[in-house]
Amino acid sequence: MQEREHIISMLVNNRPGVLSRISGVFGRLGYNIKSLCVAETMNPDVSRITLVSRANSNFTEKIKKNLDKLIDIVEVKELDRGESVSRELSLLGLVLTADNRPDILRTVDLFGCRILSITDNYVILAAIGTGEETATILNYLKAYEIKDLARTGAIAIEKGGGSRD
Amino acid sequence: MKQTGAEILIATLAELGVDTIFGYPGASSLPIHDCLRESPIRHYLVRHEQAAAHAADGYARATGATGVCLATSGPGATNLVTGIATAYMDSTPMIALTGQVSTNLLGSDAFQETDIVGITMPITKHSFLINDVSLIESTVQEAFEIARSGRPGPVLIDLPQDVMAAVVTERITANRPSPKKDHYTSEETIDRLKKIAKHLNNAEKPVILIGGGIKLAQAFDELQELVEKGQIPFVSTMMGIGSLKSPHDLNLGFIGTHGNEPANHSIHRSDFILAIGVRFTNRSTSIVEEFAPLATIAQIDIDPTSIGKNIKADLSAVCDIRKALGILSPLLEHKDRREWLSRIKKKHELMERDDKSNGCGAAGLVVQKVQENMPEGTIGTADVGLNQIWTLRNWRALAPRTLITSGGMGTMGFSLPAAVGASVGKNRCPVIAFTGDGGLLMNIQELATVGFYQLPVKIVLFNNGHLGMIRQIQDLWYGARFADSYLGNHMNFTAIARGFGLPAAHVSAENPEAGIREMCASDGPFFLEVEVDCQNYVYPIIPPGRSNVEMIYDKAT
Ligand SMILES: Cc1ncc(C[n+]2csc(CCOP(=O)(O)OP(=O)(O)O)c2C)c(N)n1
Repeated sequence: MQEREHIISMLVNNRPGVLSRISGVFGRLGYNIKSLCVAETMNPDVSRITLVSRANSNFTEKIKKNLDKLIDIVEVKELDRGESVSRELSLLGLVLTADNRPDILRTVDLFGCRILSITDNYVILAAIGTGEETATILNYLKAYEIKDLARTGAIAIEKGGGSRD
Repeated sequence: MKQTGAEILIATLAELGVDTIFGYPGASSLPIHDCLRESPIRHYLVRHEQAAAHAADGYARATGATGVCLATSGPGATNLVTGIATAYMDSTPMIALTGQVSTNLLGSDAFQETDIVGITMPITKHSFLINDVSLIESTVQEAFEIARSGRPGPVLIDLPQDVMAAVVTERITANRPSPKKDHYTSEETIDRLKKIAKHLNNAEKPVILIGGGIKLAQAFDELQELVEKGQIPFVSTMMGIGSLKSPHDLNLGFIGTHGNEPANHSIHRSDFILAIGVRFTNRSTSIVEEFAPLATIAQIDIDPTSIGKNIKADLSAVCDIRKALGILSPLLEHKDRREWLSRIKKKHELMERDDKSNGCGAAGLVVQKVQENMPEGTIGTADVGLNQIWTLRNWRALAPRTLITSGGMGTMGFSLPAAVGASVGKNRCPVIAFTGDGGLLMNIQELATVGFYQLPVKIVLFNNGHLGMIRQIQDLWYGARFADSYLGNHMNFTAIARGFGLPAAHVSAENPEAGIREMCASDGPFFLEVEVDCQNYVYPIIPPGRSNVEMIYDKAT
C-alpha cells in the first residue's frame, strides 16, 4: 500500500501526561511521528497538537479510533490538504564567509526569510512556508553549511473554521 | 470543618456508592487506611496486592458495580500490575488506588517510589496523579465516570502521602474538563442498525455471536428478547458465556480453540453472523482467513476500535449494546428457522459421541457434580489451564454473572482471589473457585484471606501434578517432550489448606462424591483436593494454525 504523509490535528485537554499517552498510541501501533507541534489554544485548558506521520492508507482509521479513545483527546481529525492551510517555521544557522555571504543573504529576498541574528561569521534565518517551500529553501541552502536547524514541523488548521477551540 | 485529603477521598468514594475496598497497607497509604477504619466502607485485607486487584475485578464481574483496590507505593503498586492488566483485557470497571511518596519527593528515587502511572499507562483506560487536595473530589468522580462509561476499564489514581495527609478547612472543589459523552446514537447509527435488521431477517442461516460486551452493557434481557423473537441460534466467546442462561434450546456453546463443536461448526456454515460486543481474538477465530467463510458479518460494539480490528465487518454500528438491541428487536420478523436449527442440531447430536463430560473426562463430571450439590445462584470462578476448560464446558451458567474467568489475559492465579471478591460483592454468596495446582500456587496465600473472613469460598483444586494444559500441548505438538511442565506429586495440598485453617478433603476424580457432599454441606470455606490423571486432557481441540472446524479428537488424529 502507498505511503504518504498524513496531517493529524487534535484538540486535547491541557493536562500532564497527555503527550506521552498520544506517543504511546503511535509507538504501540508501530507508526513513526515525523513532526509534532503543541501549544495552548485561546482556551488555556485546551491545546492543539498538529502531528505529521508517514503511513499507508490503513493508518487514519486505526490511529484516529485509538486516539479518540484517550480520555484527554477532545477532537481528532485528519486534515485534507485542499481543505486546510499549513505552514512550518524553520530556524537555520549558517556560517558566513566572504564568499557565501551574498548568496546566503539573497534568500531573504528570494524566499522571504528573515534575519533573526547576524554576526560577522554567523547568521540565523527564519523561514516560514509550506512543506514544499521549506524543502525548496533547504535545498537551496544545502550548498552552504547549515550548522543548526530547528523545524516546528507543520502546523495546520482547516479553512472556514472546521473546529472550535 | 477540618478535613484531611484522605477523609475527602473516603467521603467521595462513599458518595459514589463504594462499600468495599480490597487492599494491603504500607507507609505511604497509611493515611488512607487510618481513615478507612472509621468509615462505612469495608476494607478486606488480602495477602498480596495482586489478589487485591483480582478481588476487586471479581467483585465487579459478579455485581456489575465498579471494583476498588488499594495498595501502597513502590512494590505494593507494582504488585497490582498483573491484576490491572487482567481487568483491562476483559474491560472490567475498576479503580486502583495507589499510595505515592510525597509530592516534594517525586522524581528523587525516594524510598518506595515508582512511576506507577507510567508503568500502567498501556493497561489502564486512564490514570491520574493527584498533586493537590483541591483536586481529590473531582478527580475521583471523574475516574469513576471513566471506569464505567463506554467500554469500561481500570482507572488508576496515584495518591501522594502529603496530599492525603494535608488538612483543609473547607472542601474545595476544582472544575475539571468533563469526560467524553457517549455520542453514538445518531440517526446514522439507527440507519445502520436498520440495515443490520434487514440482513438478519433475510438470512437463512443466521447465528448470533455474543461477547463480553453483553455483560458490560447489562443487556441480558434485551439479548434474550432478540434471540427468542428471531429464533436465532447463538454462540458465545469465552467472555460471553453466561450472558444468556446456558441451558437454552438455541445455545450452541462457545467458539474457539477449546470451544464446543456445534458452536464452531455453526459459524463455519452460517450465512449471516451478528457479532455483539466481541473483539474476535485469535483464541476465538483461530486462523482469520478461514473464519466464517460463507457469512456476511455485522458487528455492534461501543468501542470503535473493536470494529473490524481482526475480522472484517461488512456491516457495523458503534453504539451502546443495550440501546442497539432495544432498537433491533422490534425490527425482527418472526421467521421459521427450524430447518437451519435442526440441521446444526442434528450435527450436534452426531458429534456428542455419547460423552457426558463434554470432552473433559472425569474432571468435567466433577464440575457437574459440584454444581448439582450447590444451591442455585452459586457462582463459579475458573482459573486458567485445563481446569478452565473443564469448568467452562461443564458449569451451567444459570444466571448472568455466575461464571467468572480471566479471558483476554488468561491469568493463572485469578480464580481464588476473584472468588473472594465475588463472594464479598454478592453478600457472602457461596462461590466455587476451580483451579489447577499450578494456578493455585500463584496466589495460594489467599487461602488465609478466605479463612480469616470465613467466606463461603470453596476451592476445588484439580491436582494433576502438572501444568496440564502445557502438558497436553507438548504431548500433541512437541513430540511428547515434557519440558518444565511437571510440578511433582510431593506436596500435600490438603494438609497445606488445613494449615491455613480451612477444612479440607481429598478425593479422586473418579470417586469424588463423599468429598463433594462434605464440601457442599459446609457453610463456610472448604478446600477440596481432587486428584486427576495427568492425561485427562480436553478434546476436541484445534491445533495451532488450523481453522475452527479442523478440531482433533485424540492424539492419533
Ligand atoms: C501467570 C501465567 N503464567 C503462565 C501461563 C501459561 N499457562 C497457561 S495454562 C498453564 C498451565 C496451568 O497449569 P495448572 O494451573 O496446573 O492447571 P491445569 O492446566 O493442570 O488444569 C500455563 C503455565 C499463564 N496462563 N499465566
